[in-house]
Amino acid sequence: MTNRLTWWMGGILMAFLLLLTFSIYGADRPIGASTYVPYLAGIIFNLDPDKYSYLQEVKEHGSWEGVMLLGALFGGFVTSVFITKTFRLSLIPSGWKQYKNNSVTSRLLWSFFAGFLLIIGARLAGGCTSGHFMSGMSQLAMSAMVFGGVVMVTLVITGRKFYNIKG
Amino acid sequence: MIFLTYISDVAEGLKIMFENVINQPHGSLGLVFLIGVMFGGIIQYTRVDKFEKIAGFAMLKDTIVPKMLFLTVGLASIALYFFMDLGIAHAHIKPLNYQGLIIGGILFGIGMAILGKCPGTGPISIAEGRIDVLVAAIGGLIGGLVFTLLYDDFFKPLMGESYGKTTIFDFFQDKELTVLIFGLALVLIAIAIPKLELCDKEEDCPNL
Repeated sequence: MTNRLTWWMGGILMAFLLLLTFSIYGADRPIGASTYVPYLAGIIFNLDPDKYSYLQEVKEHGSWEGVMLLGALFGGFVTSVFITKTFRLSLIPSGWKQYKNNSVTSRLLWSFFAGFLLIIGARLAGGCTSGHFMSGMSQLAMSAMVFGGVVMVTLVITGRKFYNIKG
Repeated sequence: MIFLTYISDVAEGLKIMFENVINQPHGSLGLVFLIGVMFGGIIQYTRVDKFEKIAGFAMLKDTIVPKMLFLTVGLASIALYFFMDLGIAHAHIKPLNYQGLIIGGILFGIGMAILGKCPGTGPISIAEGRIDVLVAAIGGLIGGLVFTLLYDDFFKPLMGESYGKTTIFDFFQDKELTVLIFGLALVLIAIAIPKLELCDKEEDCPNL
């Protein structure tokens, strides 16, 4: 039996974290988790920030999220090793084996492609599950409602088709 | 030599990242890191970063993610409204550019269903040893690179024009009543969604 929090406990804790981040006693800004990707890509691929307008645009949010991401990696690692004891090296999720296939090559190629789509999509929309769904919808933002609606519908259609779910 | 130069360039880039955060009025470096630790901890502890939870939702075989998300937003929306009223939080509304939101939302939804992660939960899965997600991160970084390189010529025009930073509040007179109905409705939806779980055979399925 995996040691884990219930959905409602997780929901309450996440609401507190969101409020802490928003409040002037915390960070006075929303939680976001996709702007860091182009920011880090700029560093890893060694792009000159002065030459690209997008790197100028994401400078502030990207660096903030970059530091938050380091914390998330640390928090995720420590929790998986010491609390949930779910740390393990794996190449294919068991649900993929059950509903898609047992091929490592297939899982890795699809993962690469999906990771690419996820970031292009998030950057076109100006946010992701954290920035739009959590932070945006909590402010009743129309942009978050549109994004949330489109994602939910596309997610379920893709899920049913891609994993060949009947009924 | 080229490799060493590259490493020092990356180190310099990361140093600038830390300096940016230190110079921003958005929390100390330690606090921002701590927010990340809590974010990673909560998500890992609830196990909502799992493939079986997110792709499972896409298959409509697992509903833990929407239940948790709707509860978070329902509770946070009510509290956040009063925080803003008291002046202890500020609005950060993203622009309503339909084109970018719809095209981006479609690509995002497809990617999320196939990968079974989103950009916030992905790193946490990498931290717990999921190598397939590390490969996805390389795809994501190349996505970030392509977006940056083609931003002015392709992606910015594709995002379309903004219809302003509108909220649901713009359509109603009584803002307090609006947020109370919105927040409570989401909490009720979170409770009402039937609880389904897709079992991970390598982690066994608890009867929660």
